[in-house]
Amino acid sequence: MKEFKRFNVSILIMSICAVLLLGGGFAYLKKQNSVALTEQFIQDKQALQRLLENSSEIHRIWNEGEDAREWGLVKKECLKHFGITAAFDESFLRCNPMLLQCNYLFNKKLNYKFVEQEKGNNQKFYRYLSKSNTPYQGIGQSGYLFTLEDKLNHKQLSILLNDQCQEVFLQNRIYAYGEEVIARPSEDIEDYRFDNFNQNIYIDRRLVMNYEINDWIDFGNQNFTKNIKRVNSSDLFLPATQLNYSQMENFCSFKGKQIMQAHLFDAATFLPMDMDDVTPKSNKRSPYYWTKKKGDYKEDCHLLYAKDCINKKTFQLNSSGPSWAGLLDSMGGIFEVFRNPIDPESNLKASSYYFNFKSPWHKLGFRAGWDGEGFDLRNFNFKGLNPEVSIEKFQVGFRCMRESR
Amino acid sequence: MKYIGLILFFTLLQACLPFQLNEMGVEEAEMKIYNEWLYAIKLQNLKVNNEVISRPPGIEQLIFRMVIPSEGGTNLKTHCVYYQVPYKKIMGQLKIVEQKNDSICPEVSGESSWLELKRITNLKVNLLNFKLIINFQHQNLNKSWSFLLPNITNGLRHEKFQASKEQKLFPQLTFLRINKESFNLRESKYLGKISDRIADKSAIRCQQIDKNCQIVGEDRCDSCSYGWYEVVDYNCPQGGSKFCGQNHCGEKNEPACPRGKKTEDNSDSGICQSDLSAVLNADHILICQ
Repeated sequence: MKEFKRFNVSILIMSICAVLLLGGGFAYLKKQNSVALTEQFIQDKQALQRLLENSSEIHRIWNEGEDAREWGLVKKECLKHFGITAAFDESFLRCNPMLLQCNYLFNKKLNYKFVEQEKGNNQKFYRYLSKSNTPYQGIGQSGYLFTLEDKLNHKQLSILLNDQCQEVFLQNRIYAYGEEVIARPSEDIEDYRFDNFNQNIYIDRRLVMNYEINDWIDFGNQNFTKNIKRVNSSDLFLPATQLNYSQMENFCSFKGKQIMQAHLFDAATFLPMDMDDVTPKSNKRSPYYWTKKKGDYKEDCHLLYAKDCINKKTFQLNSSGPSWAGLLDSMGGIFEVFRNPIDPESNLKASSYYFNFKSPWHKLGFRAGWDGEGFDLRNFNFKGLNPEVSIEKFQVGFRCMRESR
Repeated sequence: MKYIGLILFFTLLQACLPFQLNEMGVEEAEMKIYNEWLYAIKLQNLKVNNEVISRPPGIEQLIFRMVIPSEGGTNLKTHCVYYQVPYKKIMGQLKIVEQKNDSICPEVSGESSWLELKRITNLKVNLLNFKLIINFQHQNLNKSWSFLLPNITNGLRHEKFQASKEQKLFPQLTFLRINKESFNLRESKYLGKISDRIADKSAIRCQQIDKNCQIVGEDRCDSCSYGWYEVVDYNCPQGGSKFCGQNHCGEKNEPACPRGKKTEDNSDSGICQSDLSAVLNADHILICQ
């Protein structure tokens, strides 16, 4: 009997020891696990902070463009990488994914990498994202999507950079459409006036460029981009001129915008006589964007890139100075098409390098017509004021605009 | 002998106690929250501002709500954030409840939770320059959380000669939580097709203004796939109703383009092609015919 009791006590002690050992072991493992987890969360937080700092730097470069010190460091290799040999207006580098790509490719000091995107024929580190090609809720305006990966932790962070810095707000005021009507008091002809009070209208400062069309081909609806060819090298920063009118409209729609309207182009280019008076009794206007004087026409290639300028300097986008509202190339350069809701047949800014300085086309509000389909002479209506030389294919550019809240 | 089993049972229970106290750590909670709130697009109902929440003692209260895109961004969800003020034996507790969609938070949390952090006291919440700072004591240690809210915006600023400026931490930059679903257009809730026209009644009205110049229903213009445009209807100070899609104003059977109201010389409040005239349709929209 005593033997039996002793046996039981031994079993009990052993059991208690086993349970305590087991529990202690579990408790130790738990503690170790907790320490490891805490360490992991701290590392995660540090990685996130690094990614946020890098996002802030990318945001700075995005906005500074050609003024960013990074452009000076990578410019040579960047131009070589993209095969760009022609000069271009470097302000295009603002809100442009090219600079970010080059900074990533040629700046060795970065502690992040861009994750390559799946879509697109070329190696691209971004996607163009708009409400027409993503179901992502609440993205606001369209822009370029980059995914950053922390080199140490491999944590990823995606950022969308809006490309609206090339737009300009159209001041709220009374404007007039077309050339100024000068009639005798007895005549019942008036200027066509309108205003944009309570409307927030944003207009592209410059014409749409080829690199933007490449992004549309890569990331837009392929049904709308059939037969549009990608353009590379030095032509990336030239205006897109291969689209027909319908494709131009669709491109603007892809970005959530509209093709430029003729009367609003007039609003942004005719220089107001009194900048402080937003409700003038009449809209007197000069046909030249740089002056209030009707007779102050200057044969100056910086103001108007006409045919005479071709031998003096190579054409590039933004060759003519900004209008009062900030629009570039409002005269000269290539043709520009609008949607004209008043006179649909007068939809083309004919002031261009197809005409010399003496041509009557070099006037704001005076427009030719384009059928929107082809680029031969027969597709245009120059109202009897045809170019003096035969042109195989005219170049027609466009810009977009939008209304905002 | 009869106590042996009981003693063993209690000993085992005691040994397993660490597993019963499987509470979330402060660091884990901070990262779990940060990985969500970084993408928050709305912060609402924030009732407190940098003062220790001490009332009502022992009672749970809603302190704010966050609207966040779901993973992939195809939907929105809401985080309702509650705090229970400690009182005697009642522990202080921070509790976050996740709701589907952009929905209103109930005043009391209910049973389920997305995150719970117990044993906290002296909670202070402050929103400063798009940064949400949460200070508290956890097991008598001072803790400070700081969450950047870079996607929260205070609206747009319009200035002449300038591009639009979003009032947010990094204007023109949004953090997205992208995955494969983010490119699956079948999931898209954005409105309208590129071919939609008012002329064939296919265009979606995203904002309706009534004759009293009141907005009727929800303003959905930010959800248009291909942008939006304004029409002329009741000549209201804030403008007319708005439609999604490509603007063909001025064209036959399409709406007239807005001409404004401040020019004394224009008899028409809409712009139409010169061979068309503006006529009000059954919906009181000025149409070019």
